[in-house]
Amino acid sequence: MLLGLLVVLAGWLLPPTPASEVRRAFHLSGYAQGTTYAITYYAPDSLVTSQDITTQLAEIDASMSLYQPGSLINQFNQSARGIVADQHLRVVVRKALQVYQATGGRFDATVEPLVQAWGFGTRPVAAPPSAATIRAILPHIGSDKIHLKGDSLVKDLPAMHLDLNGIAQGYSVDVLATLLERHHIQDYLVELGGEIRVRGHKWPSGELMRIGIEQPDTSAFAAAAMQQVICLPAGGVTTSGNYRKFRQWGGVRSAHLIDPKTGYAFQNELISVTVVATDALTADAYDNALMGMGLASALTFLKQNPALQAYLIYQRPDGTAAATATAGLQQLLSHP
Amino acid sequence: MTNVLRRDFCKQAGLLTGSLLLHHQLAEAFAPRHLTGKIRIGIIGCGDRGTGLLKILQELPSLFEVTALCDELPFRLHDAQKIGTASKAKTYADYHALLDSRAVEAVIISVPLDRHFQIAKDALLAGKQVYLEKTMTYDIAQALELVRLSQQRPNQTLQIGHQYRSSPLYYRVKEMIKQGYLGKVTQIDCRWDRNGSWRRPVPEPGLERKINWRMYREYSGGLAAELLSHQLDFINWAFDTHADEVFGTGGIDYYKDGRETYDNVQVMVRYTQAGMVGNFGATCGNARDGYLFKLKGTKGTISLLIDQGIYYPEQETLKQYGTVDGVTGATKITWDKNGGIPIVTGKEPLKDGSWYALSDFYRAISEKQLPDSNVVTGARAACTVHLANRAIYNHTVEKWQPAYDLS
Repeated sequence: MLLGLLVVLAGWLLPPTPASEVRRAFHLSGYAQGTTYAITYYAPDSLVTSQDITTQLAEIDASMSLYQPGSLINQFNQSARGIVADQHLRVVVRKALQVYQATGGRFDATVEPLVQAWGFGTRPVAAPPSAATIRAILPHIGSDKIHLKGDSLVKDLPAMHLDLNGIAQGYSVDVLATLLERHHIQDYLVELGGEIRVRGHKWPSGELMRIGIEQPDTSAFAAAAMQQVICLPAGGVTTSGNYRKFRQWGGVRSAHLIDPKTGYAFQNELISVTVVATDALTADAYDNALMGMGLASALTFLKQNPALQAYLIYQRPDGTAAATATAGLQQLLSHP
Repeated sequence: MTNVLRRDFCKQAGLLTGSLLLHHQLAEAFAPRHLTGKIRIGIIGCGDRGTGLLKILQELPSLFEVTALCDELPFRLHDAQKIGTASKAKTYADYHALLDSRAVEAVIISVPLDRHFQIAKDALLAGKQVYLEKTMTYDIAQALELVRLSQQRPNQTLQIGHQYRSSPLYYRVKEMIKQGYLGKVTQIDCRWDRNGSWRRPVPEPGLERKINWRMYREYSGGLAAELLSHQLDFINWAFDTHADEVFGTGGIDYYKDGRETYDNVQVMVRYTQAGMVGNFGATCGNARDGYLFKLKGTKGTISLLIDQGIYYPEQETLKQYGTVDGVTGATKITWDKNGGIPIVTGKEPLKDGSWYALSDFYRAISEKQLPDSNVVTGARAACTVHLANRAIYNHTVEKWQPAYDLS
């Protein structure tokens, strides 16, 4: 506490920034984790390069990418009992288990076999799963059957699989933010696949970073709408949506967010949920869970969890879309 | 500039959230009112609007108890009694008897326009709290008289049913105007169109004038009073102004069915103090635009529906606004710079405007506070409507008179 105060005081007492300390914008962008990333940071020099980013993301992929043969998570999924996990996997699984508890199982990282059965996994499927298939899978779902014990990640049933895709991107932007901060960069915006971690100000204007919340462009949406813009000094901002990823087999249409309790896609009015939290891993874990809750339960949950703020787009009974936001998120909204 | 606006926005959001919470917590907050905490309310006039409000009252069971229903048409009373708890309400054919009842503290008056003044006056004199449907009165003289009467009875609430603007959305828009999101507003476009005769079915020919009173000038102010009054009232309230000159025209252009009120009207209003022109129109012969409400300023436009609003920045504003440092989304897509920004209001999907209006009525009575849609704003809207109808029917340009300046 005292140390923190001294640091703040030191900041006040420091002489004006010398010319060599003038910060300018650096932009990095590239392709990773099956999507794109874009990073802007303000620093006196190019302290972090694209190569640094690629190396860091590769390390995360080696831990928790389902698309990478031999990754730790794939080893875990193929194992009968479990594996020794690395730091990345432990942090993300710990968060996943917390959010599983906090949301009554709405977020469940063991949903992978269902996701795969519905054709949203790594392998294509020819037909939607039968009711009997789903019934057979359901006993192998449930994060209460996954445990972190010391360095080990273990499972109660050999057929259990983990899928951390719902939160890995949020975690990745947090890790990239830590990488920037290791280089004493305090003003940045890291975006990967639409998940964001932000801190500080733009230079030289001193303004906060501006983050657009994407509006779904489904034909059901009443008005061609521009995004909302939010500004926040620091935190994670992530969005989960049900509006783009669908599988269609004849008359059967399924969205990609599967209810771990029933085995079928969540059926509710939510189109997308954007969550703001202290870090992107937390935001990313809760955005999926909130999507699964439906509007009324999501708003109740948010009221009980004031550390989370959210912007929710939902479909009204007449098919048009509407939006609502928590009071805290409203305060982040920027208008011209 | 942005930061200043955002601070204002934060303050506003706080205020707005406060008022929303108030709605939720009304029952607890005002429970000591009397034993049940509920206001015993009667409905005078059980037509479409009266029964519509009766249904909304069913959603506010902790605030109101419906104890009485009145209508001179028995079938209407019969139908109203089928709605929720109204089966327990006592029924009356004569409103005087309802006003005499001690089981009635407050009344909703939803009768033909020509009867608004007399019944509202009698209700106030009987000591009741009054929710009077819009338009407040049939003519200007009655409006001024009702203001005088109401102001002599400060312990009684008289709220006017311009319910749409009771919605948090319309409060938010009023705030956005004040905070400068629109810049200088110069033009307002309003329509309330339908493709239909505006007639109600009549079970027997003798009831034609009672049921289709909106068609007859003896009872009704026509489309201007029944529809455009809401938007006229909102502009007065949002800009804290009034019409200075009113131009109007119209005719019975399609439904030549014996009606007297016009099925097609257009009103143009000059707001001299506010430096604005308002265009207000309604037709029964085309439904394409339906409800249209656009406020146009130098920085942007707000387009309003009953329960939805979109803010469209002007190009220059958009340039400043549209630059972002990152986009969050479930999948990345290009966003449409020509679109608008939805106006969000609070923590929950919006309810019907009448829900907020009746909640406000409860608050006003319980706290002895002037409701936001009160006798003065109601009179200002009523005067504007009557100026509009004079302009429409007499082919005149009507001017606001100092005598209408009420406060």
